[in-house]
Amino acid sequence: MTSLDLRPLLPALMVAITGLVVLLAHAFTPKDRRAPSAGLSLTGLLAASGATLLIMQGNGRGASVGGSYAADDFALFLHLVILGLGAVLVLLSPSYLRATRADRGEYYALLLFSIVGMLGLVSCRELISLFVALEIMSVSLYAMAGLDRERQESQESALKYFITGAFSSGFFLYGVALLYGVSGSTSLGQIALRLPGASDSAQALALVGTALLLVGFGFKVASVPFHMWAPDVYQGAPTTVTAFMAAGVKAAAFGAFLRVLLSGLPSLASHWQPALAALALLTMIVGNLGALAQSNLKRMLAYSSVAHAGYLMTALTASPGPGVEAILFYLVAYGAVNLGAFGILSSLARDNREPLSLGDVAGLGARRPAVAAALTVFLISLTGVPVSAGFVGKFYLFRAAVDAGYLSLALAGVLMSVVSAYYYLRVVVFMYMREAEDAPAWAPVSLWAGAGLVVAVAAILGLGVYPGPVLEAARLAAQALR
Amino acid sequence: MSQSILSALVLLPVLGAIFVAVTPRENVRTQKLLAMGMSLVVFGLSLWMLSEFQPISGMQFEVNRSWLPQYGISYHIGVDGLSLWLIILSTFLTPISLLASWNSIDQRVREFNVFMLLLEAGMIGVFVSLDLFLFYIFWEAMLIPMYFLIGIWGHERRIYAAVKFFLYTMAGSVLMLVAFLVLYKATGSTTFDLAALARSPVPPALQMWLFAAFAIAFAIKVPMFPFHTWLPDAHVEAPTAGSVILAGVLLKMGGYGFLRLAIPLFPDAALRFAPWIGVLAVIGIIYGALVSLVQPDMKKLVAYSSVSHLGFVMLGIASFTTTGVVGAVYQMLNHGISTGALFLCVGMLYDRRHTRLISEFGGLKIVMPWFSALFLGICLSSMAVPGFNGFVGEFLILVGSWSFSWRLVALASLGVILAAAYLLWMVQRVLYGEVTNEKNRSLPDLSLREWVVLGPLLALALFMGVASPLFTRSIEPSVNALVLKVESQQRATAAAAARAAEAKPAAAAPSQPVEEGK
Repeated sequence: MTSLDLRPLLPALMVAITGLVVLLAHAFTPKDRRAPSAGLSLTGLLAASGATLLIMQGNGRGASVGGSYAADDFALFLHLVILGLGAVLVLLSPSYLRATRADRGEYYALLLFSIVGMLGLVSCRELISLFVALEIMSVSLYAMAGLDRERQESQESALKYFITGAFSSGFFLYGVALLYGVSGSTSLGQIALRLPGASDSAQALALVGTALLLVGFGFKVASVPFHMWAPDVYQGAPTTVTAFMAAGVKAAAFGAFLRVLLSGLPSLASHWQPALAALALLTMIVGNLGALAQSNLKRMLAYSSVAHAGYLMTALTASPGPGVEAILFYLVAYGAVNLGAFGILSSLARDNREPLSLGDVAGLGARRPAVAAALTVFLISLTGVPVSAGFVGKFYLFRAAVDAGYLSLALAGVLMSVVSAYYYLRVVVFMYMREAEDAPAWAPVSLWAGAGLVVAVAAILGLGVYPGPVLEAARLAAQALR
Repeated sequence: MSQSILSALVLLPVLGAIFVAVTPRENVRTQKLLAMGMSLVVFGLSLWMLSEFQPISGMQFEVNRSWLPQYGISYHIGVDGLSLWLIILSTFLTPISLLASWNSIDQRVREFNVFMLLLEAGMIGVFVSLDLFLFYIFWEAMLIPMYFLIGIWGHERRIYAAVKFFLYTMAGSVLMLVAFLVLYKATGSTTFDLAALARSPVPPALQMWLFAAFAIAFAIKVPMFPFHTWLPDAHVEAPTAGSVILAGVLLKMGGYGFLRLAIPLFPDAALRFAPWIGVLAVIGIIYGALVSLVQPDMKKLVAYSSVSHLGFVMLGIASFTTTGVVGAVYQMLNHGISTGALFLCVGMLYDRRHTRLISEFGGLKIVMPWFSALFLGICLSSMAVPGFNGFVGEFLILVGSWSFSWRLVALASLGVILAAAYLLWMVQRVLYGEVTNEKNRSLPDLSLREWVVLGPLLALALFMGVASPLFTRSIEPSVNALVLKVESQQRATAAAAARAAEAKPAAAAPSQPVEEGK
């Protein structure tokens, strides 16, 4: 603990300070005026992205706080992803919050704090700090899920999320304790060094600890059988919050997942790989079959998010190896798609109502061609049909699985993608091929939300046609974990 | 300049689609003219490519640029005798389909033209791709515009048909995708380049699996019996333009996929599977023809006749003789022209009467003499009457397949007779006799626009019937190279088997005589 170079922490600190500024601005704004929360948040997030880019160029790269917080290529890549997702979400939020009359300053502050937690989650190389980051992220999100105080569903969602989340934190912490007991350290580097030499009984304990960590992460990424909370929570939470739960949490949790497994527990890879393969298979099947039966769009996207956790986990079986970069790329693609899909729903909201059922989007293709086209792009990308980032992403995920010898996972993955085509296309069918019966006139898309959606569409099509640079960055990031 | 011609063929329609997409919704005329103009430019460009094409076996107008170098994926495109005419067919049928839909598509005209142009880009892309990744992108991306064409502008059961089409084709394609990945891993290849992969040997046992995965994807597209059930729905429910493109070009992608990917990559497995493909092809010929015979709906009749005609194509491919395969490629073109034209004719009747039932018509020869003449001509071409294009194709296929299996040829010939039966019977009931339905009495004959739509197709059908060498000349070298590759592979495998048999005669106690040169 000789040096305390705070430069690696700079992005997270900037976001945290922005959060405090937003709270203060809210407190000091007269009641009849609106605090410039969204603008401040956006500025803060962009500034933090700038700082990340500076660090990437070698200015302050490295570890801090006694080596427990790393700003390596892996962390920085995910920093940019998370900050970018956060920025797009800030663009999408104002109009939705106004439409649902939930426009409160806390929203942005909580959002920024949850981003701080996510940044920490992908950077921490020490299990206790990792746990703290996990809780910062989760607690902020619990509160955000319940922000829509007038809607009972939102309350239910917050409570459910909180209870299951706290429960999973317990599992996670117990896993940390066991690993500490075996190796005498909570630092991932030390654990990796000491585990191979440990006695057999210690190894067994380490396996139990690993399993408990998997349960904790499984809850966060909503993998089967720890996915039960997802549909209700996704449906009940305010739509923009749901978007961030799907996009941001997944990016951060998979980042932490990868780091813990690859930096801390590589010696147990032969044990956790098959376990993850089984979970991935189950997750893909349950998620996709569940989504088939949904008529509520948010619920459908919730199950689809479960399914996508499964696709992502197939590549964990090929980690270390080509799986890591595949996962990193897919997190970008998936994040953009989810923000976009939920963003469409939220940006059409008006007078406390938003399109939720298939009937609500009927005839959208004729009445709102641009919006319908954007949603079609997102759905196509979710299905994994070219030309979209989703296709390129799935291609690399399944390639990693085949490379690792899990052909059956790749087969299940592609066949489940066909199943998913059915429920994603159903939305397209309603938008383009059914006439609207009495669908309300949805709100015009605000300038900010429009900008956010354009960014998402551009990212998806751009990555679908020319994924080279991002893939290369993901490859470099993956190397940092070795 | 000639280097970038193929890229231009793919990109110009996309560009056109973007132009059309940004026009105001009300400017229907501008949208139609823009789409038509762009498709004509593309057609002209493809004719220029044709004039520059040399009848040799290698790839021409080849472009190979690295795209995702760290993953061995490149933007590798080129054209040879197998793809040349299919590209021309695509660029030819697109403006014709647009013209045929000029008045009948009156809703969401902008979207219609956008999807037609995107579809054209996808079709050309499939035919020029020489990299598996690139091929797959076009192959799958093409589904989306077709899905919309069927689903938005189709008939009563359009949604069912569109979704069925999409899911069926996607299910086949994703298996192929996994096969790509396994192939990539098994060969230890560092590239998805088709030519490079075709040079690296694949273990025979694995070949069987991979070939099967490819074959299912392509068999669904062809469609081969028993994977054909999506076809009648999609063809019947699609709008006329959709049916024309679907029958004219999209079905060809199955056969083309066999020739371009499945056979060069897995020659051993292709030979082993050839008898099965041949049998399924002949079942398709007979089955499609019999089902056509009993259809009360003209569009359904034509749709099922596709199953029958594509059976001939697959029989030719399975024969692995130069004559048979050239015939198959030629028959793909013929089918595109004559079945496309048949769908157009049915569409013209539908535009006038809003029914496609044969029983609703009769005696049209009296009220629509020109239409009847052209319709009859196209039917003759479809049933392979000498002098028309269909005859050349089917004759080459049957002759070429004789050495493959004379029994299958004999059965397939039944299909030719049945084709005459179902088509002539339809012609008789629709065109001849008295005008039985009063509604038909005042039907107008062909308009100038319809003349421009049907005329070139019939002319081409006749021209291809009498001047076939002009076409086969450029097909043959590439087919020859393919057949030679398969044959040399056959010999190599036989030699290896013979060596293996000699090496251990003692182990396999009463040694069987070595299988003769199979």
